[in-house]
Amino acid sequence: MRRYPSLWWEVLRLSWRTVPGYTAGTLGVIAASVVSVAAVGLTMRATLDATARGSLVTALVGAAGVALAYTLTLVVQDLTDDCVNTVADRTGRLGLHPAVHRDINSVEGLEHLERSDFLDRVSIVRRSTGEIARSAWNALLSLSNLLKLLVTVALLGSVHPLLLVLVLLAAVPIWCNHRGQLLVQRAEVAGAEPYRLQQHLFETVASAEGGKEVRTAGAADRLVALQEEAWDDAVRVRFRARVGAALWNAAGWTVFVAAFAGAIALVVYRASVGAGGVGDLVLTVMMAVSLRQTMQSTVAATVAAAGSRRVVEPYLWLRAYVRAQRERAVAADPPPPVLGRGLSLDRVDFTYPGTDRKALDGVTVDLPAGAVVAVVGEYGSGKTTLVKLLLALYEPDSGSVRLDGADLAGISVPAWRRRCSAVFQDFGRFRIRFGETVGIGDLPRIDDADALGAAVHAADAGGLVERLPEGMDSQLGRELGGTDLSEGQWQRTALARGSMRADPLLFVLDEPTASLDAHSEEAIFRRYADRARVYGKRTGAVTVVVSHRFSTVAGADLILVMDRGRIVESGDHRELLARGGTYAELYGIQARAYAPGSTG
Amino acid sequence: MGFVRNRTRLLRTLWRAGPVPFLALFAVRLAERLVPPLAALALAALVTEIAPPRPDGPELFTAALVPVLLLALVLLAGHLGESAAAPLEYLVKSRVDGAHRSRVARTAASAPGIAALESPEVRRLLREVRADPDHGVETTPGDGAVAVLKWLCGLLGAVVTCAILLRYAWWAVPLVLLPVIVNRALRFRQSSAVTDRWRLAIKGEMHADVWRNATVSPAEGKDVRIFGLTDWLVERMQGHIREANEPLWTHVTRVIRLQWLSAVLMVSGLLPVYLLVTADAVGGAATVTVQTAVLAAGWSLFQSLGSALELHHMAGAARVARSTYRLRALLAEPEAIGGDGRAEPGTAVPDRVRVIRFEGVRFVYPGTDREVLGGVDLEIRTDELLAVVGLNGAGKSTLIKLLSGLYRPTSGRITADGADIAEMDPVEWRTRLSVIFQDFNRYELSARENVLLGAAARDGTAPGRRGADEEADLRAAAADAGFAPVLERLPDGWETPLARSRTGGVDLSGGQWQQLTLTRALYAVRRGADLIVADEPTAHLDVRTEFELFGRLAERRRSTGIVLISHRLSTVRRADRIVLLEAGRITETGTHEELMERGGAYAEMFAVQARRFRTEEEDPA
Repeated sequence: MRRYPSLWWEVLRLSWRTVPGYTAGTLGVIAASVVSVAAVGLTMRATLDATARGSLVTALVGAAGVALAYTLTLVVQDLTDDCVNTVADRTGRLGLHPAVHRDINSVEGLEHLERSDFLDRVSIVRRSTGEIARSAWNALLSLSNLLKLLVTVALLGSVHPLLLVLVLLAAVPIWCNHRGQLLVQRAEVAGAEPYRLQQHLFETVASAEGGKEVRTAGAADRLVALQEEAWDDAVRVRFRARVGAALWNAAGWTVFVAAFAGAIALVVYRASVGAGGVGDLVLTVMMAVSLRQTMQSTVAATVAAAGSRRVVEPYLWLRAYVRAQRERAVAADPPPPVLGRGLSLDRVDFTYPGTDRKALDGVTVDLPAGAVVAVVGEYGSGKTTLVKLLLALYEPDSGSVRLDGADLAGISVPAWRRRCSAVFQDFGRFRIRFGETVGIGDLPRIDDADALGAAVHAADAGGLVERLPEGMDSQLGRELGGTDLSEGQWQRTALARGSMRADPLLFVLDEPTASLDAHSEEAIFRRYADRARVYGKRTGAVTVVVSHRFSTVAGADLILVMDRGRIVESGDHRELLARGGTYAELYGIQARAYAPGSTG
Repeated sequence: MGFVRNRTRLLRTLWRAGPVPFLALFAVRLAERLVPPLAALALAALVTEIAPPRPDGPELFTAALVPVLLLALVLLAGHLGESAAAPLEYLVKSRVDGAHRSRVARTAASAPGIAALESPEVRRLLREVRADPDHGVETTPGDGAVAVLKWLCGLLGAVVTCAILLRYAWWAVPLVLLPVIVNRALRFRQSSAVTDRWRLAIKGEMHADVWRNATVSPAEGKDVRIFGLTDWLVERMQGHIREANEPLWTHVTRVIRLQWLSAVLMVSGLLPVYLLVTADAVGGAATVTVQTAVLAAGWSLFQSLGSALELHHMAGAARVARSTYRLRALLAEPEAIGGDGRAEPGTAVPDRVRVIRFEGVRFVYPGTDREVLGGVDLEIRTDELLAVVGLNGAGKSTLIKLLSGLYRPTSGRITADGADIAEMDPVEWRTRLSVIFQDFNRYELSARENVLLGAAARDGTAPGRRGADEEADLRAAAADAGFAPVLERLPDGWETPLARSRTGGVDLSGGQWQQLTLTRALYAVRRGADLIVADEPTAHLDVRTEFELFGRLAERRRSTGIVLISHRLSTVRRADRIVLLEAGRITETGTHEELMERGGAYAEMFAVQARRFRTEEEDPA
């Protein structure tokens, strides 16, 4: 278990870099808390002994000491909470939060976002940066508690060596508590699924998006009933575990209190034979009471530490994953400035991690430089997977993707991506200002009004911009005080974003017009076809259009028909029709639907 | 006296946890809070026995045995109470929060329209009061409820401590108590201010959420990677976070710096009494018993009026209560539904709706000034397939929202068999409709539940609601929607949860989900809906499936009307009637043939889509 201490050490160093003042202050407060443990007991003994002796000045100094010692204890208690919360919160938000988001986003592949078991962990980590930072400080608090125990031991030992046994017996409640916490931990995991379910149901009922259908279907009562059920399920499991833990704790404390009573009896006995007096008795009781407090906070810290496993484990996993991905991505060759021959896939096999069906199965194909290539096929035939491999969002399991004959695996992914542009079927909906949501398609030109204007025109989005309250500066998303866009309008933002880069070598359009009306679709395709030709001449750029609408692809230079991960037909429109295969059949269905006089 | 009112309100919420857990927790917390003063008393009793003048030898030992046992018992009671408090507190807090979340969900669902839920203020309030600590550091009503209970028990503990001080001198009580009260009042005000500033940070945090969510979304994730956004987005996100939290952080730092004031107050409270009682003990005016008790118990007053965390939770929960109240008021306002909110539901919904009419319907979204619909007159019959076509932004989706009563027309009216639907009970009216939205709901529930929720208003909330009839209806709806083959491949059939995050669950593809929503709609029809309203229901289906499905839908149109919104004119042409919506008005109506003959905008749109196919056909290679 060396992983945890090294993580904690790293977090503490990060705290120091992020909020040096707070880090130093918090360390100081924790150190003061160790000192304060001894203060009350010692001053009390001095005061009562002096009182018994009748020495006024010593007694008064002692009494002032008692007042100050209690003040110190109380203030340190409050301050420890405040400081640890603050330092953990700020380290989390200002230090870990950006680092974690950078890590997640800088992984070049998509596996961690598309595999639900990976995505679960990633989601936990990015929500829990505060807790992760907190875990390091909890570890430090545990350490300080250990020091407090040592101080307590030393003082008790100074009364009578036999009292040291009390410390050994203090291990009993700590051990019992540990047993109980194991129960609680298991219940946290067992309750996670119903807890997530009730979160999902609540968000569905209480959001405007989900609320529409909830209303039209009259589903609110049923959904809230299911939400309550899921909540109760989660609570029941976790409550039972806590009852179990409480029984362990009660047993542990009973043993300890019995031992403590014995210890006091010992001190009283010593007093009865003339050894030691009121002062020793008070010191013993005070130290035993503070032993109890120390153990309570030890217990609280172990509870917190146990809870933090839930977030630290996924975090450690993410770091290992990111490291492994970075080590793989060492290729540094630049992509060619222009494509001479084009892109090709050579016997490419690909299976999505965590599934057992080949998404691509021995695909070999040339995409000639300057060509518009259409990929068609039914759902799940591997069209989108093919373009994801071209964009290096996944690597082939075997075989290779080649740029002018050079293996893509040997080329720097960021450099290659700078020469790509893409509009995906499930494009991003960035709720920022309209101009920005377009401009991020080419960050260096995010403020370039001409470039933005051209991209907006390419996506046939000029009318949309005119209707926005503040034009290109309009904030998107009503919850952020801006405007909501319709599905088709969002699609235009994605198309405009995809048109920002001026000199791509690869341009991918994945079902780019599914939500657009006929006019826009036509206008956009004409513009994109022109663009493809211009790019193609200039840099040998390849444009890949993915679609299951055959009307949109007939003009392509090369059409690839995919079925179950294989390319089953390829050629231009005319060749494929003449062949009378799948393409001809599916094209026929759609063509007939548009044929004059046909009513299906 | 907001202070008192807030606390009594928090206490009332405790009853929602049920009287047994509540009373048990109260007893346990009280025992725990009485430990410091009682332990001090036991210690004082013990000191009395062994302080000089004292008997020697065994007599002393036997005399001291009783206080020793007393001390042990007090401490044991404290520990046992503490052990029992953990599960009890969890139970009480969870029950209060669970009840609160259900109430918030019900409140959110209670506004008949959707306008309120779409407003930024309501969204912010919902986020604030959702009581989901998994999502951050927010305070929940449960936190507040258990904190106020703890605080009350602390007050009772303080009474006992004061009694101890009283045994020394009456003036000792105000001497200690005054600084304690000042100290806690200060702290409480600081906590309230922290909560206020935390609320102000929410807005900026929501901007940061754009990038937080983008980081874990495969959709945004692709853009982030292709366009190399990582560094830029992290900077942007952190900028929002810093800007939003700056006032909060400055304040927290000030609170921490102000701790010296707390220290001064404590010293000024404890020092005089501790010195005086010691001086009196040395001088003989007070016994050592009193001295020990005062020294050991006096400080606990500073603890008994609430820890920083309790105060923070009470302040936070009071804030949540106020925001919940505000939320409820906003959702109950008449403009929550949009329009003028004039009519009270009073008109009965016809048993079988035959004709729905839009009469001069105009509509402007609340808070905007663009007229989305500018005088729509439209007749929808429940025995025909009506297609609505139009360019993006023509108002097609708005039409659905008005028809289903999610918004009310700004002017004009919508009638069902002559009666204004604004005067009907919206819940009742909606049972006549089955709406498939473009962004339909994907419930992480079983396939069965996903379908049944399409007609929840009729089926009620009992599980296994309708027995054999339900099975038959489900099976028939699945067969009609082409969902049966998908169902066969689900590991647990109808009971399979449709989310991989659930045990034994699976994720459906976009096309499979669309088939499920069609099943949902057809099930609702079997349960009495007269009209299916579908917005692009086949966009994610492949050509062949779409074609077959449309055929099956079209077959039922004599018994159930269908309103179909689609861009695919090859599908639309088979409708009984097609209306073209252009810039908020209906400009063309008729069958495909009529509209083609007319040669207007529809004919042009159709020609655009058909062109590629036609050129190929006219050009036989």
